[in-house]
Amino acid sequence: MSIENILDVEFGTELPVFEPDTTLANVGAFARAVGWGGPRFESHEGARKEGFPGALVPGIMGMGFLVSAIHRWAPTGTVEHIDGVFRAPMIADTPAIISAVVTDIDEDEGLVELDMTVKNTKDETRVFGTARLRLPKAEA
Amino acid sequence: MVDIEELKKQFLNAEFDSKNFVLDAENLLVVAKTSGETRAQFIDAEHADFQATPAFLCSLASGRHLPIDFPALGGIPMDGGKAVECFAPIRAGQPITGKSHLHDIYDKQGRSGRMIFIVVRMEIVDTEDTLLAISDSRLVIREKPAA
Repeated sequence: MSIENILDVEFGTELPVFEPDTTLANVGAFARAVGWGGPRFESHEGARKEGFPGALVPGIMGMGFLVSAIHRWAPTGTVEHIDGVFRAPMIADTPAIISAVVTDIDEDEGLVELDMTVKNTKDETRVFGTARLRLPKAEA
Repeated sequence: MVDIEELKKQFLNAEFDSKNFVLDAENLLVVAKTSGETRAQFIDAEHADFQATPAFLCSLASGRHLPIDFPALGGIPMDGGKAVECFAPIRAGQPITGKSHLHDIYDKQGRSGRMIFIVVRMEIVDTEDTLLAISDSRLVIREKPAA
């Protein structure tokens, strides 16, 4: 269900699961666009030489996935605040599963709080965080 | 062992870096699209409200991570996380300035030793010094045990 205003939101609602594109090509394009191009994010072999298990997905790309998941669920909302904790590396070319749950609603202010995670297919948390979303108030 | 309270007294809330940025529309588009963004104001450069995504703002980095006289704590700083608070849209081509200071320093004791967390806050302002966004970076340093 797509959310249009604050009255559409229910406490405890789980957002639709979002599986973003974590292919090496996509991750590399993101990394270059933020000025972080290089083996760590663009080459599995290059990243392994740096001691990583494979090319990394930048933590801030994980935050981008979280924001995209919110916007897909609530196209009229504005993400005012997002906080992500980078708990463990995300690896390119492996699935990332974005999930979120509504943890607080302020109908007077039109604000929604969300707890969010990025997990791998082993259900291991890679990134977790919170977000605050402002939604239109219901029309009188 | 480093005295956290002493570090806080010496370094918190003092601006240690300032850097100017002008965001490139193509880079904003790539970041939004590769993140899976679907909102027109992030993926259509012709949209009247075209703007940077919150994740893009997290990528803005000052010239230095820490104040020049900040003591070496022994370990390599790791990126422990980011946070961004948005107050107004930031547009492609808009001159902005990122002013950095240390916002918080704290520690946690683990089985393998002490971890020190440093929150570097960048305040992003426009040419009128209006605050547009705040971007926090959490650096995590595993303290080297005393020899």
